[in-house]
Parts: sequence; structure tokens; C-alpha cells
Amino acid sequence: MKQNPTSLYGFINAKLRARIGLMRESHIIEDLLKAKGVVEAVAVLRDSAHSSVATAYDRTGDIQQMELALLYNEVEMYQEVAKYLEGKPADFVLNLLGKVEVDNLKNTIRLWYGSIIRRRPMRFRSEYLFKGKLLNDIDWTALVNAISWDEVCKALANTPYSEVVNAFTEQQLDTEGLFVLENKLDLQWYEQMMASTEKLSELDKNVAQSVFMVDIDLKNLLMMVRYGWYHKMDKAILSNLLMPWGKVYKNKSVREFVNKSAKERDPFVVIEKLYPGLNEAIRQISEDKQGSVRQDELMALQNLRIEAYLHERRKSVYRKMLASDPFTIGVSLAYFFLYKEEDTMIKAILNGKYYGYEEDYIRGVLA
Amino acid sequence: MNLFTRPMRLLTAVVLEQMSDAVVKSLLELGVMDFVHLNKLDPKQMEKLSSRPSSISRIVLEDMRHRVEAVLRQGQISLPSADVLDVKNMEKPDLDSYGALMDSLGKKLLLLKDRQKESNQLVLGFDEMHRYIDEDKGEYLDLRVGEIEHGKAEDLSGRLASFGGILEPFSDGKKFISLTLRRDGSQVTPLLDKFGWIESSDVQAQKKAISLITHRLDEEHRKAGVQRGEIEAEINALVKKESPALISIWGNLRLNELSDQIRSYFSYTRNTTLFSGWVPSDQTDEVTRAIFTSSEGQCVIEWTEATQMPREEVPVAITSPKFLEPFQKIVNNYSTPEYGTINPTIFVMIAYLTMFGLMFGDVGQGFVLLLVGLLIQLSYKKNPLKEDGLLSRNIGKLLPYLGLSSMLFGVLYGSYFGFPLFPALWFNLDAVVAGDVTSGPVKDVYGILGITIKFGIIVIYTGLVLNWINLFRKKSWLKMIIDKNGIVGGVLFATGLYMGFVFVGSGYKTFPSDSWIPVVLIVTILLLFLRGFIAYHLSVRKGGQRHSLGTVTLDAVMEWVVDLLEIFGGYLSNTLSFMRVAGLGIAHAALMGSFHELSSLSGGVGAIAILILGNALVIVLEGLSSGIQALRLNYYEFFSRYFTGKGVAYEPVGLKTSFAAQK
Repeated sequence: MKQNPTSLYGFINAKLRARIGLMRESHIIEDLLKAKGVVEAVAVLRDSAHSSVATAYDRTGDIQQMELALLYNEVEMYQEVAKYLEGKPADFVLNLLGKVEVDNLKNTIRLWYGSIIRRRPMRFRSEYLFKGKLLNDIDWTALVNAISWDEVCKALANTPYSEVVNAFTEQQLDTEGLFVLENKLDLQWYEQMMASTEKLSELDKNVAQSVFMVDIDLKNLLMMVRYGWYHKMDKAILSNLLMPWGKVYKNKSVREFVNKSAKERDPFVVIEKLYPGLNEAIRQISEDKQGSVRQDELMALQNLRIEAYLHERRKSVYRKMLASDPFTIGVSLAYFFLYKEEDTMIKAILNGKYYGYEEDYIRGVLA
Repeated sequence: MNLFTRPMRLLTAVVLEQMSDAVVKSLLELGVMDFVHLNKLDPKQMEKLSSRPSSISRIVLEDMRHRVEAVLRQGQISLPSADVLDVKNMEKPDLDSYGALMDSLGKKLLLLKDRQKESNQLVLGFDEMHRYIDEDKGEYLDLRVGEIEHGKAEDLSGRLASFGGILEPFSDGKKFISLTLRRDGSQVTPLLDKFGWIESSDVQAQKKAISLITHRLDEEHRKAGVQRGEIEAEINALVKKESPALISIWGNLRLNELSDQIRSYFSYTRNTTLFSGWVPSDQTDEVTRAIFTSSEGQCVIEWTEATQMPREEVPVAITSPKFLEPFQKIVNNYSTPEYGTINPTIFVMIAYLTMFGLMFGDVGQGFVLLLVGLLIQLSYKKNPLKEDGLLSRNIGKLLPYLGLSSMLFGVLYGSYFGFPLFPALWFNLDAVVAGDVTSGPVKDVYGILGITIKFGIIVIYTGLVLNWINLFRKKSWLKMIIDKNGIVGGVLFATGLYMGFVFVGSGYKTFPSDSWIPVVLIVTILLLFLRGFIAYHLSVRKGGQRHSLGTVTLDAVMEWVVDLLEIFGGYLSNTLSFMRVAGLGIAHAALMGSFHELSSLSGGVGAIAILILGNALVIVLEGLSSGIQALRLNYYEFFSRYFTGKGVAYEPVGLKTSFAAQK
């Protein structure tokens, strides 16, 4: 039976809108930035919704334990929103937890890789991982204790990640690293999400896909610039890593870019066609910094500019969602975005304060 | 308690600039003046005056205070209250030395925190191994028993520790147990080989190894946990040691912030300082004395009566006794009353508690509410720093009142957890709802509805009378007489009520045909029609803008139509709205009746369980509904008659000024 969007979204969207209002009024990020050190930054969190993070610091003095507390809060947040929804939209929100699961899986595999392949003892680090159930039944303990890639594959045997991990061998990972594997895991998650959006109502589907498309465009664009141009990645690998959706992927100039030899590739031609404003900004960075910074630093600055530009575009998509039909999945997605954005900033600032960076520097990185 | 808002007077003072510091301190100590910027009073005068920037920005002071607070809270020390503030101790803040102290404390804390982190990581490592033993996941552990041929056991132990492993000697001093994680096997094995590790084939030793190593693991885990806790205690002790200095800095910063806040209202000539502010009339002597003394008599003080100022600019101070606090919050939550009008708190208390009692009358359930309220209060008293939860401090203070009201009406209804243990002093609500009553003051639900409607009429008329008193005090004669909430509105409402009661009394057949009714209706409606014209005439006489006759007539007609709609529709709906009180009361009795019925069908322990569960459900759901409905009736039916909410709250600057109220 078709659900009435008003009864489905009325309560949760009103609740989330109220929270978004509070988030906008909150000056937690500003206060964190102004804090002189970790102790003061933690004090800012004490009276906020992140008080559990402050408690973790009091108990352990460990920034990574604070990050784990933030992760627990994030998982709870997704589960809470899903609880207030029903049917396909609830499944869709729970599927979004899959991203947390994929990121946790990537972190686990990185730890495994460091321990088994690179022979750096994992020690207590495995305890910083989320060990509960997210979306699928994953035996996280078996994963962190695997002593071979086969055991990793075995631990993931009955999960959707089985096919991806089985496509790699230990030797391959040893020589090529985890980059391609991690991208494949991301790609798989996007595939699942795109499939999940198909089950939503037409309106919700359009809203959800518009968000994912901006995300995918960002990933594809960065992939082209960072790996296709700067790291001169092979055409076959590069075309395999691009996500087959979004306006970047579908653009003819992108195909031309990928098909060219690594030396002949010029990402600015593509960017000029897709995002003329961004191209101008990147060129400006090149002109301003050329000669004064190393090539890799210049590259990092350009990447940051692209990320910031697309982040702004993503923000405007969410803003539009909040201003349009109030009875769609859009409000939940906007809330997730804002929550995640705040979470990421809190993590970055806490780390920045811990390592003694100045307020202005942290602001610069976050901008 | 004042029945009306406290009378206020406006102070304007001039003091010599060299005396201004002393004056600021004395005013801060008194904490009764709600300052006003002089340019608000007389913008032209400001051209001759100047303002001066603070020597230290208030933001800088606040930031430093936040740093101090962060350290205090890191040491689990409660933030100081206004009680530590003493203007005699106020001095120019030495921000450099404060900053240096905070930096040095911050460094010490960070070092301790790093140590705590290391201990925590040890705990985490041991936690993991311990979990595998507890959960019987030995396959992830690497437990070996053997002897080392070369090298020192301490060296091996240290090297194994880098993997989070443990080396435990056997009592014979030759054999050792090595416990590591299997995932580190590829590095641990070569390490053990380096020390010439020979695996033991002693079966007994192998068997003993697991209990020995578990014991050692427990010990190491405990030690690391204790160490982590000790560091936390060390942090607390460090902050505690510094707390006298920190609290003193905090106090000085806070005093300087408040002093700066006061100074921000000051204006200056070359040698004098001018300021102005509102003070409750009964405290003007104190303020005069304080300024006179602190300025050594070199001052000019002028008081202006509130009546000489626009009413909407006068801040409103209300004093209510402490026992009225929860009801004062209900009023504040709505808005601030207009200056010079009635303080509605006591009326809200009476109306709210009567409504609640009518809806939720039961001695037993009321007693539960009373107990819960007292328990909430006790819990906050025990933990003064505890943040307000769903059952907030205010709910804790309100619940005993609601409980008492419920108990009183329970006695009147003869209801004790829904049982008629004693005869009702008024009428038995449960029996009336069940249809078991044939005599007495109330025989059926219509009787209950009638009571609540009459109660509503009393509430509405109380509101009207309060409105007339307010308007009389404001000398708003026209509004007092000819307005929907004025005397004319009251007369129309009374006429309507008379007609309604006669109609009901006739068995819903005939309206009264008294000859005075049409006369009253025509006169009052005509007066309402003329009101627009009279108001315009009075406004023009006071120098207001002139309009064409067409515009004035159109305005008057429009207003008249709206007023009539509001009087005929509004009064009717407002009165009938009180039927919800009966509705909730009937629902309460019906629910209790249902649970009694269910309980009698069940019998034994089940019956008791149903009764307990039923009472709990009714207390939570009905209690909440009754509380909300009583609030709604106060806000919409009662307040709308007399409470304009146009007042500006009185916010004096003093030592107890809250951080939120700081402008």
C-alpha cells in the first residue's frame, strides 16, 4: 500500500527540522576553534549533545576514544531516524549506515594490512574500531585477527563484501596497496544505494539521487585530477574506478580524458566544460603558488579547492531540499549531511588542538 | 507579594569621572539597576556626550573566563557561583599573568593526559586478550610454554610488550609462559627464536599455563586500570590545588565583565560621567545613598516617575513569594505583563490547580504525584550540578502542588486509587460516570459538564475584571468601557449567558423574552459601532493623524464587525472550551472504572497487577493530559482576556546577573 508522505514524514521531519534549527543556532564549532587547547575544546563539548565525547576524554585522555564516542553517536542517530520511519524509506536510511560500515571495514582492513603485510603490530588499535552490528553481520573480531587474506575473505564470506574482497589476492595487495580495493568497496556501496533509491517513491528517488549525484561527481572529479592526471594512473584502472553515474562520468570530455595517454591528460579542459567557475579558481591557485610551493603541495591545494567547491554545491543541494517539499526524505538527508559535517569538523578541530595547531591554520583547513 | 507589577523610577545621574569606578562598584554590589542607554532617552543630548571603548574588550575577558572554567571542569570542580564575587576584591585583570598560568596548567594537564592515554592503551590491549579468554576465543591467542636458552627474560618481556604480550615465569624459574595475539605470530616467532625459545612438552605445565597467565593478565589489567584512574585523580588533584587561584581569577574576570557591562551604558563629558537606569521605587533610597557615598557627594541625581515615561519602555519587575515559583514560571513562559498591570501569578495558581483537580481528582494518585515531585526535588538537591532532564526542577516543584490539588478533589469525589473508600464530600465522580447515581448535587455527565461550564464562566469573568482593573490603572477609559473585553463585552457575555441558561432550563425549547434583552443588545452593539469614531476623535484631540470620513467609517465598520464576531463566536467557544475539563475528568473516571472491571475479571495476583498498572498508566497519561489542558485553558481562555504580554522584563545588572541575561 502506498504510504501517505505527510503521515510518514510529518513527525520525523518536524523533529529533524527542530534539530537542524538548533544546529544552526549552535556555536559549538566556533567555540571549539577558539579553544586554546584540547582541555578547553573538551569543555565546549561538555554541555552539548556530544557530552559523551567529553566523558571519554576525562576517562581515557585519548583522542581516538573520543572519535569512537562520536562514531557511536552517529550510528545511534541513523538508527533513531530509521526507527521513526517505516517501509522503504526506513530501509533506505538504514542502508545509509552501510557507509559507516564500509568505512569501518576499510579501517579494519587497513589495520590488518599494517599488521600482517607491513608487520606493524596492531596492538590496542583494534579496540578503536566499531564492533557492533551496523548493517550486515560482520565478525569484526575474526577480521582483526585474520592472519592471511584468505581469513579476511572467510570472515566476510556471508556479507555483500565477499565478492569484492575475493577479487583480490594477498600478493596483489602487497604490491599494489589497498587503494583499488577501498575504491571498489565505495563503488559497491554506491551501487547498493542507487539500487535502494529505486525502491523509493518517485519524489524521494529524485531527491536522494540528486544528493548522490553530487557526491559521485566529487569523487569522479577528484579521481581524475588526483590519479588520472597527477599520479598518471593507467587508463584501464582509472576507467574501472570511475563511478558510472553523474554528470562528470557522462560527459564526453571525461571519456576523452581517460582514453588519452597519462602524459597528454589535462583535467582543466574537463573542469572548464563542467565547472567553469572552479577552473578559474584552480588556475588562480596555480598562478599564485607556482614556484613558491612544491608540485605535490600545489596538487594538494588544488584538490582542496575542488573539494571545497563541490562541498559548497552539495550544501546548496541540501539547502534547496530544506526549502522545498517538507514531506520527502530530503529533510532526513539534509540532517545527515549537517550532522556528518559537524562531526567531521569536531574530529578535525580536536585533532588540530591536540597537535597544537593554531586557530587560523585549522580554520584554513576546514574552509 | 505585590498584586501589581512593582512601581519603578528612572534614575539619571552625573558623577565626576574620577569617582565613576567607585560608583560602578557600588551599583554592581546593589544589583538593582536596569541600565538604559542615554541616547534612548534623549538622542539630541548625545551629540554633546561621548562614549568610551573599554580598556579590555569584554570578549577577551569572557574568553579568559572560559579557559578558567574549562580547567576547573576538567578537574571535576563545580563552577563558582555569584557568591564568590566581592566587588572589594575587584582589580584590573592581569591578562598576561592569567594567560601564563593557564598555559602552564594546560601543559601540565596535557602531559598527564598523554600518560593517561598510554595507560588507557594498555588497558585496551589487555581488554582484548581478556575478552578472548572470557569468550572462549582461544584461537586468536598465542599461548606458549617454554624455556629461553640465551638472553635475559626481562629483555624478552620488554620486546613482547611492544606487541602487547606478556611473559610470565613459572615457579621453577626456568620455564616461561608467553601470551601474545596470534595475528602477531609472524613477528613473535622470530623474536622467540632469537632468545632460543624451546617449546616445553610438559603437559602439566601446559595445563597450568592458562590459569597462571589469566591471573597475570588480570593483575596487569587491574594495574593499568588503576594507573589510568590514578592519573585522572592526579589531574583532579592538580586542578584542585590551583583552584583557589583559579576561582579568584574567575571572580575578578566576572566582576570586570559586569563592570564593563555597566560602563557600556555610560556617557561622558570631559570631566563627568552620566548614566541612567530603572530602579524599583522601594529601592531608590538605597541607590541614592550608594551613589552619594561612593562619589563622596560629588554627584547630581535625578529621579523620574514611571508615569512620565512611555509605559512600554518601563521594565517590569514582579515579586512573588517563593512558593509561587512554578506558577511564576508558567506566566514568564507566556510573556511579561505590561507595566503597572496585575501580576497574574496568584490567579494562575488558583485557576491551574482547580482545573487540574477537577480533571484529575484522586487521593491516591495525587499522593503519588506529590511523592514523585518530592523525589525529583531531592534528586536535584543531592546533585545540584545535574542538568534538567525531562522531569526538570520546575516539574519537581510543580508536582507537589498538583498532587495536593488532586488529593483535595479526590476527597471531594470520594476517590482513592479509584476506590470509594470514604464517602464523597461533594459528589462521587466515578459513580456518576458509571451511571449509578440517582440523587445528590450531580446525577449524570451533563451535571459534570454544567459544573465545568460554570467554572469556565467564573474564570472568564475573573479575566474580564482583571482586565478592567488594568485598564482603569492605565486610564484607558474607552477600552475599559467599550471593547470586547471591556464592560460592554462583559454585559453582552452576561446577556448571552442568561439567554443560554434560560434556553437550557426550558429543555432547549424557548429563549427568554424579557423586554430588557433587545434594549441591552441594541445599546451595546451600537456602542461598539461608535467606538471606532470615538477612538478617532480622541486620537485627533491628542494630536493624532487626521483621516477622511470614508477611511474612518470603513475602519470603524470593519473593527465593529470583527469585534461582534469575536464577542459572539469567541465568548461562546471560550466558554464551551472548559467542557474539556469535564471530558478529562470523565475519561479519568472511565479509565479507572475499566481497570477495576478488568481486575475483577482476573482475580488474584493478576487483579493487583492490573490495578497497579492501570493506576500507573492513568497517572502518567491522564496526569500529563490534565496538566497540558490546564495550561492551555490558562493561556488561551484566561490570559486572552487581560494579559497583553507587552511588558519588557526588568533585568538589573548585578553580581547575580546570569550569563544568558548579559546584554
